[in-house]
Amino acid sequence: MGARKSIVALVIVLAILAIAPLGLPRFYTYLIALIVTTGLLSTSLNFVLGFGGIYQFHHAVFYGAGAYGAAIMIAKLGYSGWLGFVAGPLVAAALSFIIGLICVRLSKLYFGMLQISLGSLVWAIVYRWYGFTGGDDGIHGIPMPELVGSPLGAYYFALIVGGLSLLVMHRILNSPFGSTLQGIRDNAVRSQAVGVNVRRHQLAAIVIAGFFGGVAGVLFVVVDNSVFPDMMFWTLSLEITIMALLGGWLTFLGPMLGAAVIVCLRTFVSGFTDYWTLILGILLVLVILFLPEGLLGYVLEAWKRRTSESAEG
Amino acid sequence: MDIISFICSPGVLCQVLVGLSRTVILFIVASGLSLILGVLRIPNIAHGSLYMIGAFMAFTVSKVFGGGITGYWMAVLLAPIIVAALSFIAERAIFCRLYEREHIMLFLLTFAFALIFGDLVKLVWGAEYRTVSMPRFFQGSIPIFGLPFPIYNFFLLIMGPLVAIVLWLIVNKTKMGKISRAAAVDREMVGAVGINVSLVFATVFVIGCYLAGLGGALVAPIVNVTLGMDHTLIIEAFLIVIMGGLGNIWGALLGALIFGLTQSLGILIWPQFGIIFPYAAVIVVLSFRPTGLLRSTW
Amino acid sequence: MKRLLLLLSFGLLGLVLVVVSSHAANTIKVGIVDTYSGPPAAYSQDVVDGFKMARDKINAKGGVLGRKIEYTTRDEKFKPDVGLAMAKELVMKENVDILAGTINSATALAISDFVKKEKIPFFVSNAKSDRITGQMGHRYVFSTNENTAMAGKAAAVALAKMPFTKYWIAGDDYEFGHAIGDGVWNNLKALKPSVQLLGQTWWKVGETDFTPYITAIVAAKPDFIIVATGGSGMVNFQKAAKATGLADKIPFYQHTAIEVTVGQALGMDAPEGVYGTANYLFYYPDTPANKAFAAEFKKLYGRYPKMTALYGYITAEFVARGFQKAGSMNKEKFIDAVEGMVLNDTPVGKMEMRKCDHQVTLPMFWGVTKKSPEYKDFLIAGDLVTIPASEYMPTCEQVLKTRGK
Repeated sequence: MGARKSIVALVIVLAILAIAPLGLPRFYTYLIALIVTTGLLSTSLNFVLGFGGIYQFHHAVFYGAGAYGAAIMIAKLGYSGWLGFVAGPLVAAALSFIIGLICVRLSKLYFGMLQISLGSLVWAIVYRWYGFTGGDDGIHGIPMPELVGSPLGAYYFALIVGGLSLLVMHRILNSPFGSTLQGIRDNAVRSQAVGVNVRRHQLAAIVIAGFFGGVAGVLFVVVDNSVFPDMMFWTLSLEITIMALLGGWLTFLGPMLGAAVIVCLRTFVSGFTDYWTLILGILLVLVILFLPEGLLGYVLEAWKRRTSESAEG
Repeated sequence: MDIISFICSPGVLCQVLVGLSRTVILFIVASGLSLILGVLRIPNIAHGSLYMIGAFMAFTVSKVFGGGITGYWMAVLLAPIIVAALSFIAERAIFCRLYEREHIMLFLLTFAFALIFGDLVKLVWGAEYRTVSMPRFFQGSIPIFGLPFPIYNFFLLIMGPLVAIVLWLIVNKTKMGKISRAAAVDREMVGAVGINVSLVFATVFVIGCYLAGLGGALVAPIVNVTLGMDHTLIIEAFLIVIMGGLGNIWGALLGALIFGLTQSLGILIWPQFGIIFPYAAVIVVLSFRPTGLLRSTW
Repeated sequence: MKRLLLLLSFGLLGLVLVVVSSHAANTIKVGIVDTYSGPPAAYSQDVVDGFKMARDKINAKGGVLGRKIEYTTRDEKFKPDVGLAMAKELVMKENVDILAGTINSATALAISDFVKKEKIPFFVSNAKSDRITGQMGHRYVFSTNENTAMAGKAAAVALAKMPFTKYWIAGDDYEFGHAIGDGVWNNLKALKPSVQLLGQTWWKVGETDFTPYITAIVAAKPDFIIVATGGSGMVNFQKAAKATGLADKIPFYQHTAIEVTVGQALGMDAPEGVYGTANYLFYYPDTPANKAFAAEFKKLYGRYPKMTALYGYITAEFVARGFQKAGSMNKEKFIDAVEGMVLNDTPVGKMEMRKCDHQVTLPMFWGVTKKSPEYKDFLIAGDLVTIPASEYMPTCEQVLKTRGK
């Protein structure tokens, strides 16, 4: 029941967003595209974090890998945009396979810390290799194919690709693979006893999550035409995790909501004060104290309670 | 034989020594983090911010007491205590309500505090660079192997083991220490025996944060005290703690040593990608001993 | 119930934030993106304050074209993706007429690319990459501060006149550090072929312990060290230099070592005898214009102006005079007006916004740190030499060549 509701909600939201540019000022087109990108990233993280129970502490590496993969293909190696868009997520998936393979033997916190170390290694290489990756300057002004070059084109591209990615991830989570993954999250020992190859399952999940993280990276390149080494820095990984937790890490669309809240907060509050991180911090404290299931989690819980009450009444 | 003479050359030996004194600060901060992580099982993201507050507080206290040698010692004495008091308030007000919750929520909470503290520092002290002037007593350097070794670094080399020993005594020889080690392993049992687990956690948390503040106060005379100090330190501290073993003081010392040495030697060997070496060291350690080099409390 | 109220109130607050966007219609809006938290923030606040000081004077006289100049700031926290998003917000939502900022070169380059498409003038007031007005320069980007190539050449011009022959380069291992190092060395070698480079040392950005590096450098016995550090690193390095006695053994140079930001940070603990370059010193030259500027700044903000205050100040001046000369709010006419514009009465004297690369011609001061009886809290620069822009700026031909023309 919950699965279908998520899909319906998603389709409705996408439909609204599809006609939104007709009414909204130009800036909101950009903002929504950015939210879709960030939300996709956060959802891909939650694929393994919330649904897999895997402590993916450095997911941003895959985001950066996808973005840099596309950027380098297009800007440095001169391939066409579309080829770059395909290359990015593949690079991210390959990287997540390698990193996943090394880390998956460990569990919980140790998995996370090893991933941070490996990810930081990758970041350091990108940051230093000025000749190939642009070093700490990054790469700018990446040329886009005509169809997605304009802000509107980028918007629809992000919407379509983002929406499709979400649908695919949702399907996977509601397939036998997804159920097994959640089973592993809930009780790895029992899953193992039933004959599930826990490690292989987790590795597959990590690769899928990395792939979609890479897709999000490509979306960033389309929307902002640049890449920065910051995209692979551990503070971003932390932020994405915060988005997932804020929105509700046990729901599918929660991370999307969390991303929307944080991006909007950053955009609109910074117009009033320079201390928007202080406000974000206070907001988080309040959410943690009073809404432990995250924003969406709370809303769903309240909805469920109301419907069950009315059913009884 | 070239390698041996290279390693034993005065330059490298001096580099090792200085790397060691820098390691002391890392160790002090990391040991606090390790304690909190080992006993309370909270990855305290705000630890870096507390270190930064310790440094800024040292600046203010030093100023209040007129700088110089008095100012310095009062700063080293008082700044960590103020940081500890701040953490105590945060713990009693908010943290302790969440001990029963999912770990990941506590993790999120420390992140929220890191954000809040970071901006608070900017609110209170502004964006200017601050400095604590080195007291005359510590100024200058002593020639070691014919090369100048700052006296302050000597002082740090003494402080480090001192802190380690005091910590070890507290954790292993005092009643509170033994209770906290028990609570790390099985908090329910400790609670069932009638001990106020919440109070134990509070104590450990405050001690851990005190150490962060102490690190900040000690480092203040030799660095630029600036916003953003928290970010650089926190990831290094975490990696050291993981390398050394959670909750293990000597592990933190060992981890800090490895981290500091690989950092300074790495730059000698491969300057362009020298910063990779500490990360590589962590990866190697975790590949062979996933729970850290020394015994962890988890 | 409590939770629902909390949620609803957040929603309402959110809605209010989105809807409320105050704006008086008939103004000239300037959007400034910069880093106001973290180590670079020590410099950024002065840009805004310098800008504000000039702007208040202009507004008091009635503004420009009958409009007041309005500005708003955004803190990118040294993150280029945030900075770019904020620039987009300023242009697309706040509809600013002019963009200015930022100390982060990566952000500046990204914004520069953005304004090329949007056709909004962008004044880079704080970023030092020479690609901004060099290789990646274009019609819509201007620079009101110096860049690494310029600083490097100015230092080289001064060093070429000195007797040192054996050099060592050391610095922060990032783009800025390497650019300064290369800038100084390549120009020095060209001006004085007899100089030798004995070696190089690069440490990570944010390094706090320089003693091992210093001991290694001292062991190699160079005559002079070119130290290519950023602002925060400069403070740390000078502390280490004092502690190890390096300053007494081997002289060294850092870009902006003589400037007041670093000086105030170190206080009387700073080593004497450190060479440096800077575009602005509040006490030199001792002209009436500079004295007035510094005094006014001090009265308004309670502190001496840093070099970044000058950048903010001249940005405001160019914006105001540009629109005045153009006679309309048309951006293209504005750009035509600003190109080649000469300001005669700035605190550092005459300067021109070059038409070929949109780089402002600032004088560079070369000096040595020393104690002064007049200032009790920090060291100032002595033996000051003014290097005029014509001696150290790249020629128009050189710039156009890098752009592939």
